[in-house]
Amino acid sequence: MKKIVLLLTVVAFIFTGLAPVFAGPDGNKRKGKYTYRKVYKACMARGEVSAPKPIVNPDAHTQAEWTQIFEQKSFDEFKCAPEWEALNDKQLLDIYTYLWSFAADSPTPAKCK
Amino acid sequence: MKPYNWIRLLITGLVVMLMAGPAFSADDAANGEQAPGRTMAQQATKEKKVWVTVDHANVSALQKKFKSGPEVTQACLSCHSEAEKQFHKTIHWTWKAGATENGAVRGKAGHSLNNYCISANSWQDKGCLSCHPGWGNKTESVNCLVCHGQKDINWEEAFTDFTAFSESDDPEEKEIADEISGEIQAAVVAVSRPTRKNCGSCHFYGGGGDGVKHGDLDSSLAKPNKKLDVHMGADGQNFECTRCHTTTMHNIAGRVYTQPAYTDRKSLIEDDLASKITCESCHSAKPHKVGSKANDHTDKVACQSCHIPTFARVNPTKMSWDWAQSGKLKDGKPYKTKDEFGKHDYLSIKGQMKWAKDVKPEYAWFNGSIDSLTAKDTIDPSGVVKLSHAVGSPDDPNSRIYPFKVHRGNQPYDKINKTLLVPLLSGPKGYWNDMNWDRALRLGNKAVGVPFSGEFGFVKTTYVYPSTHMVAPKDNVVTCTECHIQKGSRLAEIAGVYMPGRDKFQLLDTVGWLAILGAFFGVCLHGLGRVFTSNGNGRKEG
Repeated sequence: MKKIVLLLTVVAFIFTGLAPVFAGPDGNKRKGKYTYRKVYKACMARGEVSAPKPIVNPDAHTQAEWTQIFEQKSFDEFKCAPEWEALNDKQLLDIYTYLWSFAADSPTPAKCK
Repeated sequence: MKPYNWIRLLITGLVVMLMAGPAFSADDAANGEQAPGRTMAQQATKEKKVWVTVDHANVSALQKKFKSGPEVTQACLSCHSEAEKQFHKTIHWTWKAGATENGAVRGKAGHSLNNYCISANSWQDKGCLSCHPGWGNKTESVNCLVCHGQKDINWEEAFTDFTAFSESDDPEEKEIADEISGEIQAAVVAVSRPTRKNCGSCHFYGGGGDGVKHGDLDSSLAKPNKKLDVHMGADGQNFECTRCHTTTMHNIAGRVYTQPAYTDRKSLIEDDLASKITCESCHSAKPHKVGSKANDHTDKVACQSCHIPTFARVNPTKMSWDWAQSGKLKDGKPYKTKDEFGKHDYLSIKGQMKWAKDVKPEYAWFNGSIDSLTAKDTIDPSGVVKLSHAVGSPDDPNSRIYPFKVHRGNQPYDKINKTLLVPLLSGPKGYWNDMNWDRALRLGNKAVGVPFSGEFGFVKTTYVYPSTHMVAPKDNVVTCTECHIQKGSRLAEIAGVYMPGRDKFQLLDTVGWLAILGAFFGVCLHGLGRVFTSNGNGRKEG
């Protein structure tokens, strides 16, 4: 009996530990959406892009691809480099969470409207 | 030959040409003049300055932080007190269009069906409600801004996010809430009469995508040029939809299903709010230049037949949909493929489809009314079922030969009851979720209150759309020989009328040719007689 309890406890610990991995990034996706839009509003005001709409949609990449992009901080695809450089880690995490949550292989792939 | 004789011969030839000329080109004499139909249309629609007496940005009822859609509607109604009551009675809101003899209710919210997504299942298919002018998927309060709003905004997202951020203690989120509120308010006050974009937000995307349904209505008409549509062309007349689709108490004219579109052939000069504006309302029944043969066609051929040579000239339109092919899997999973236009031509959840561009219409006698089947009507599944068809005949003075897009389908029907079936498509229990026909058909038919025996098959169907938009410039109309020709005539299927060139009646042809030859020889003899007998000047010498 003790062995079973021990086994169940170990399994529970393992799954609890892995849970954040399955849940994805833990930023504020709602806030991330608006921070993402703000980048392009500022970028349009500076004149680099012609519309205030983000140029890369969440469904342009899979969740794994978004993770890689944000881990490597390779934001060339997004243009507007000065605005991306001005973002702090919390803002980047929020944007990452938003893009990851609506990625091509997510339950609800999304485009920026 | 003496030079004098050469001159005589030349004069004779000129006389013959001058006399025979009008027989071939009646318009030549009138070159440089404008067709009276165009002049009349210009008079009827001459620039009218649309003026307004209110700037909605200054209306106090709109100066607030809106938290929901219905709050916006209430603000609109605080001034436009009767608008919602009026709108609730229109087909744009009810999606119903009267009852049939067997007790069926016409309309999307009733028993009507088509061969695209087939039915809205009495509002049970929530996917269809994205085009209902309420707030979100609810059918309680009218969203006035669907038709009157001029700013792009995702209302549902804006209100949800505003509520979430405004309840937060985080100052950054409070700031975002204020921004969203500002965007909502800016969108609420940016209102006007409906534009092409407003109408097009649903009518260009009917059937779930750009240009799926109509063929003559798609996003290319949001900002068309004259080449695509002479009336709406931004480089020409730049008409909004409401220029022809006149409106009284929120009832928008122009629908051609249960009510004929032009039994009253009114001129705009007679009544600028005629319930159904047609080409004739502006251009008159004899619109072409005096002597033009085209004027002799207008009592039998609709203007659209010649002036809309093809539809879907910019974007492709869906021409067929075979539901029987749905359900196929690749590697155990649903899949989709795309065609040359980048449109899906196969989806496991939908079946096989065909898209086409620059399509020649099919033609039928049409009196302005379309008859269609409902889910309660019995069918004969041994042949192609005409799900909808033009009403009209060559004997009906209100009928004209009219161009149509004909969409061909293959869709489920009840083998025992001999009725067409209306599957529920979207939602967790819909066909698109797990491709279970039996459950989708049972739930769909239950929603509209029509029995389903449990046995189903697939039947071929046709569904028609009259083509009336995408009117081409006069240089690009259908030519005479595209119809008046024995092989490959556009009007090959049109019965009940004799068409020279297409039809052959030997006696009539012989008499016609004799008349032509007789006239030709008569003219020649007359000309020659005058030249040789009186030196060409018609006076006696001396």
